[in-house]
Amino acid sequence: MRASHDIEADVAIIGGGTAGLNSAMAAAEAGCDVLVVDKANIVRSGAIAGGIDHFFAYMDSGEPWDTREAYLGWAGRVARGAVDLEVQEAVYCDELKAALERVERIGVSLRQPDGKIFRTAALGQPGPYAINFDGKLLKPKMAVEVKRRKCKVLNRVQVTNLYLHGGEFAGFTGFDIRAGDFYRIRARAIVIATGNTNRMYNAQVGNPFNLWYCPANTGDLHRAAFDAGVALANMEYVRMTIVPKGFSAPGFNAFFGMGAQLVNSLGEPFVKNYHEMGNKAPRNFVVWGALQELKAGRGPIYMDCRHLKAKELEHLFFTLGIDKDTLPEFLHARGYAKDGAMIEMTVSEPMQARPSELCGSGIRIDASCASNVPGIFAAGDASDQMGCLHMATAGGFAAGKHAAAYAKKRGPLLPLDPKAMAEEEERVFRPLGRSSGISYREFENIVRAICSDHFGPVKTELSLKAALDKLGRLDAAREELRADNLHELMRTHEAMNIHAVSKISAAAALERRESRFPPYHYRADYPETDDENYCGLMVIQKRPDGGVTTRLDKLRYAA
Amino acid sequence: MPAVIDAAKCNGCKLCDLYCPLDVIHMEGEVAVVRYPDECWHCGACRQECARGAVSFRFPWAMLAA
Repeated sequence: MRASHDIEADVAIIGGGTAGLNSAMAAAEAGCDVLVVDKANIVRSGAIAGGIDHFFAYMDSGEPWDTREAYLGWAGRVARGAVDLEVQEAVYCDELKAALERVERIGVSLRQPDGKIFRTAALGQPGPYAINFDGKLLKPKMAVEVKRRKCKVLNRVQVTNLYLHGGEFAGFTGFDIRAGDFYRIRARAIVIATGNTNRMYNAQVGNPFNLWYCPANTGDLHRAAFDAGVALANMEYVRMTIVPKGFSAPGFNAFFGMGAQLVNSLGEPFVKNYHEMGNKAPRNFVVWGALQELKAGRGPIYMDCRHLKAKELEHLFFTLGIDKDTLPEFLHARGYAKDGAMIEMTVSEPMQARPSELCGSGIRIDASCASNVPGIFAAGDASDQMGCLHMATAGGFAAGKHAAAYAKKRGPLLPLDPKAMAEEEERVFRPLGRSSGISYREFENIVRAICSDHFGPVKTELSLKAALDKLGRLDAAREELRADNLHELMRTHEAMNIHAVSKISAAAALERRESRFPPYHYRADYPETDDENYCGLMVIQKRPDGGVTTRLDKLRYAA
Repeated sequence: MPAVIDAAKCNGCKLCDLYCPLDVIHMEGEVAVVRYPDECWHCGACRQECARGAVSFRFPWAMLAA
C-alpha cells in the first residue's frame, strides 16, 4: 500500500531555485506558514546549483549609464516586444537595493577579495552592469536562510498537477521520487518558480543532459499551469548561446565581459559584421552571427583570448570555474592553456526560454507577480517577465510578498475533489505498472528530433504545422510509456511535460508572423521584425473546452 | 563516466546522493554510486559537498575529442 500525505500551507512555493527561495524568504517574513517543494534538494537545485559569478545591477554611481532610467532603456532596447517595463520596474527596480543587501546579509559577498565591486559589460549594456562575484555558495546559503526563517521544505517531490475550485487556486499533487509517496497539498496561494524548459532539442555530442541550463528544468509547471487555464507568454522563443565545443557550459558573459573575442576559422573577428557593438552586442546577435559564419563554411569558431593580459586571463579562468565548477578542468583536459588560449566554441543547443536576460518565458504575470488565476503567482524563469540571477533574486522576493498578501486576505483553504485526487494518483503511477512499452529516453529522443528538425533557429509556417502534426501523433505513445523505478517515473513525467511544452511553443511561434530576436524567433517566411503588428507578448491559453487560444498583448516603449 | 566516486575514499556520508540536482547518485549500502552517469550535468555540486575528496570528473571522449 502506497503512503499518501495531506499537507496545508498559507503559501506554497513550487521550485526551490533562486526565485523560489527568495519568494519563500519574503512570504515567511510576512508571517505566513510557508512550504517549499522541490524535485531535488533546495541546497543544490536549479540553475545555480554549482555556482554563479554575476549579478546585473545599476548602482547609481553617478555615471549616466548607472541609473534606473538607463537600465530600463537597455531593457527596452534589447528585449523590445518581450519585456513589460511596468512589471520590470515593480519586480526588479523597486526590489534591487534590498536584493543586493539580502545576498550579502546571508553571507555571500558581492565584492572582490580587495573589497571592491568589480563590474564588466557585455550583452548590449550601456555600461558595466555585471557585478562579478564568487557565488559558489549562494545556493546553499539561501537554503540555510529559508530554513532559518522556519519554512517547511519537501525535497524530492515532483509536482504533477494544479487544482482550482470555483476558478481559484486550491492545491496541487505530487510524488516523492525516492519513496514513492503521493502528496495532496492545499495552500492559499502558490508561487511557481520552476525555471525554463530544457531537453527539448538535440544537444552537442549526443547527450541530452550536456546542457547550458539545468536539465532538471523540464517545464513541469508550465504544462501544469497551462492545463489549469493559466495564460503563458514569450513561449515561442528558443534561446541559444555560445559554448565551448564538447561542453555546453555557461561563460558567455565572463568571456565577453573580460574582453575575449569570437573569431572564425580565418582568424577574423566577425561579430561586428552583424551588430555594431560586436562581441558586446546582445546575445542573440552574437549567436546569429556565429550561425551565419558556420553556415558559410567559416567554422569552426574560436574564443580568442590571446590579447588578454596575464592578470585578466587568470581572472577569466577563475570566474569561469565559479559559474561552472568543472569548466576549467574541462578546458585544461582539452589542452587549452591560459596563455594564448584560442578555445574552440560552437552554438549551444536551443532551449525553450526567454529571448533576453531582461524577461522570462512562461506564466504571464502582472506587476504584482500574479497570473490570471487568483492565487497563482510566478517568479524567475518560469514567469514571462523574470530571468537571470538579478531578477530571480529581486523578483522572487516580490512574488513571495504578493502571494503572502493574497494568502492573508483569502479565507479558508479550498477543497480538493477526492475523485480528481484518486484519478491523478492512478495516472501518476500508471507507467510503473506497465510490463512493456517505450522508455522516456526513446520518447524524449523523438520529441527532440521533431523540435530540432522543425523549429530550432529557423522556422516557417510549414515547418511549425508539420511539427504540431507530428507532436500530436506522439500523444498515443504517452499511453505506452513505461518506467521500471521511481527515478524513471520522474523522467517519464518530465518527458511528457517537455512534449507538452514543445506543442505550446510551436503553437505560439506559428502565430508570430514576423521575426524577433533572431535566431530566437526567426521565421524564414517572415524574416523582418514587424513592430507595428507584433511589438508585444504572444499570450497562449487553454480554454475550459481544451482548445487553445492566442492573443497579442501590445507593449509600448519610449522612442 | 562524468562524476566518478572513489569507493575507497567514500565514508558513506550521503551528501552527494542527497544534493545531486539530477538524482544521478544513489547510495548502495554504505557507498555512493553514480547510477545514472549519462544524466550528469557536470555541475560539480557533489564534489563541492564531499569532505573526503572522493569525487572527481572524467569527461567522456565525446566531450573531449569532438
